[in-house]
This record gives sequence, structure tokens and C-alpha cells, in this order.
Amino acid sequence: MFFGQYLLSKGAVNREALISAIERQRKTNLSVVDLAVRDGCIDPQCAEGILTRYRTTDAGLEELCLEYGKISREKLDELLRIQRSQWVRIGAALIHSGHLTCDQVEEHLAAFDESQREANQQLAADFCASKDPETVKTVIELSVFHLQRFTNGPVKLLTLSTDGGVLASGRRRYAQKLVGDGELYCALDLPSQLATMIAEIFIGIPVEEDGEVAIDAVCECVNIMGGNACTRLEASGFRLRPQPPFSTEGNEPAGEMQSCTPAFVMAGDFEVDLRVFV
Amino acid sequence: MSKWRVMTVDDSAAILTIIAAYLEDSEFEVIAAERDGIMAVERFAQERPDIVLLDLIMPGQSGVETLERILAIDPDAFVVIVSSLGTEEAVHECLTSGARSFLQKPFTRDDFIDFMRDLTQVA
Repeated sequence: MFFGQYLLSKGAVNREALISAIERQRKTNLSVVDLAVRDGCIDPQCAEGILTRYRTTDAGLEELCLEYGKISREKLDELLRIQRSQWVRIGAALIHSGHLTCDQVEEHLAAFDESQREANQQLAADFCASKDPETVKTVIELSVFHLQRFTNGPVKLLTLSTDGGVLASGRRRYAQKLVGDGELYCALDLPSQLATMIAEIFIGIPVEEDGEVAIDAVCECVNIMGGNACTRLEASGFRLRPQPPFSTEGNEPAGEMQSCTPAFVMAGDFEVDLRVFV
Repeated sequence: MSKWRVMTVDDSAAILTIIAAYLEDSEFEVIAAERDGIMAVERFAQERPDIVLLDLIMPGQSGVETLERILAIDPDAFVVIVSSLGTEEAVHECLTSGARSFLQKPFTRDDFIDFMRDLTQVA
């Protein structure tokens, strides 16, 4: 959960106040790439190249600005200083708009930090309790990483739980089976709006919601997550090979596997169920 | 100068779309795109492209099986595996089966074009 969502869930602010604060952040909190374009040290085409690389590789934005954008280290440091000086956190935005006082933000922030510490401890314990914890953890963490790149926004792993792997209403499942030293499925259960957004970011052109191209593009994203997980797991001596990804409006492979570890993930404003069936 | 004739084979229409878009206005021309290994072998026999970009994980006939059948038609075929799977085992299997190179997904347009241009130095 992000701090703004926490404040909303605790009734500290209402929806309108939170939206207004987020909109203020969107105006002031520019990425280093946006700042570089504004400064004239890179052109928009170069910025698009950096962002594409950011979405499709493991590299960070700063590294890409230096290597791909040919921005000097000194210039980048200057841009980062400007970014820090202009950056407005959600609490500050809510204080500025008069919805919260400084004391209220501090009090809620302390409670939020505590709840996050507890949530992280719980996550670590849940990973240990899952069937085949090392593999499950690798697949889930790598999938969260890729999901962040595919959605162009913040993605946070919130909880793990155990359920029967039932697909929630209004969602479609995108899954891939990995076989070899073990057998597991990784699956993303997505609302169609988010699936369409992922597909459009991935392909770079508008796609029809729930259309074949959109479904196919998200399957390919799952294929990239699965393939990369196999590559990562090979380093620890665990050999897996992905099978072709598939999409379904049913619950498969829930019936055929012994356990399902669902991870509840927030991708921006969307809720995602990321599942590993073992 | 004539363009390099490329055939793409991937069960993902999204990847075929992306590759076609990346190769637009370049020295490469996608002359065939297939989503199935069996169809790809037939199309290869008809078109004899300069470069084949072949997915590894496909339903039905796998990338390696498709590679072997293409090489049975033309042992000099220039086939490159494009896959999200980058394990040593997979790369080794593809290269020993006769693939000329291996590209791991995902990739950016610039990386892809650079990769393709490097290929033409040896194709």
C-alpha cells in the first residue's frame, strides 16, 4: 500500500483530496528524463529511447541517461539536485492543500511505517511458508519487477496468502507453465483495462480492449517474465524451461496443481493477482 | 542496394508486430511472418529468406525442431533464435543445433537494429 492509499483507508483524507494531491505531484515530480528534455540536454526522441530501454532492460534511469543519453555525470548530478528540490511527497502536497496539518502527517507516517515493517515481516514469513519458497520468491519478485516496467508506474507487492487459485470476476488470467527440475505455473490475473494498458505500452500502438492483439501482447509479457525467471533460477542450479503462455477466463491450472501462492500487487491504481502454482 | 529479406516466426502476434515496426525504414524487409513452426518451414522453402528470426518456445513444433527442418532444406540457412529464455542450456542447444546467433527478449529498437546490423557482417 502506498502512503496516500493508507491515508484514504484510514479516513484521514477523502478521495478528492488525494486525487488533487496526486495531480499536484504529477506536475512537480518530474523524472530525470523529463528534466533533461526540459533542460535541452537530450531531445524527445532520445528520451523515448531511454524510456523504452528502461521498460525492456534491467538498467536504471540514471545509468541510461549517462550511457544512452550521453549526459555528463556533472549534468546528471545537477538534474538530480533540481529533481530533489522540486519533488513533493504526498504528505507535503496534502499539507499544502490544507487537508492535513504537519503534525497529522507525521503521526500517520509513523503509523504507516510501522504497518509497512509488519507487512514486510509477514511477507518474509509467508514466503518461507510457501511450497518451494526459493523458487516462488524468485518468480514473484522478478514478475513484480517486470510488471513495474510493463506498466510504466509504481508496483508494490503487498501480501501473500493461500487460496484455491480462483480467478476473480472481471479478470482474465495470463499464465505460463515452467517445467524441468520442478513444475510450476506463473500467472497474472488482470482487469481488462490494465491488460490493455500493458499491451499498448509493450507494442507501442493502441489496441482493442480484450482483443486478440491485447491478449497476445500480455501473454508475451508473461512469457518474458517466465523466461527471465528460468534464466535467473538456472544460476542457482534449478533448471526450468517455459512452455508457450496462454490466457484463460477460467481457473486453470488451479485444479491440477497442489498449491497456489497468490501475491496481491498494486500496479498504480490497479489491483493485480500474481500467482505461482506449484 | 537491395534489402535483407527477413522471415519472422513467433507464436506471438505482438512480437511479430514489434519486429515489423522496428525493421520499418531500415535495410531489412520482413517478407514473411509465421506464427507456427510447420507453416514456417513451408514458407522458408518457398521464400528462401536471407535471415530467419525464430522463436524458441512455440506450441506444436518447437523452435529447435523448426530450426532442424529448415536446415534440412538448406544447411546454409541463416537462422537466429529470438527467445525470452536465456539459459545457458537453451543457448547451447540452439547453437549446437545450427542457429547462428541468439537474441534474448525483451529488447529495444536500437538494440535490435544493432543486433541485426551485426548479423549482416557475418550473414
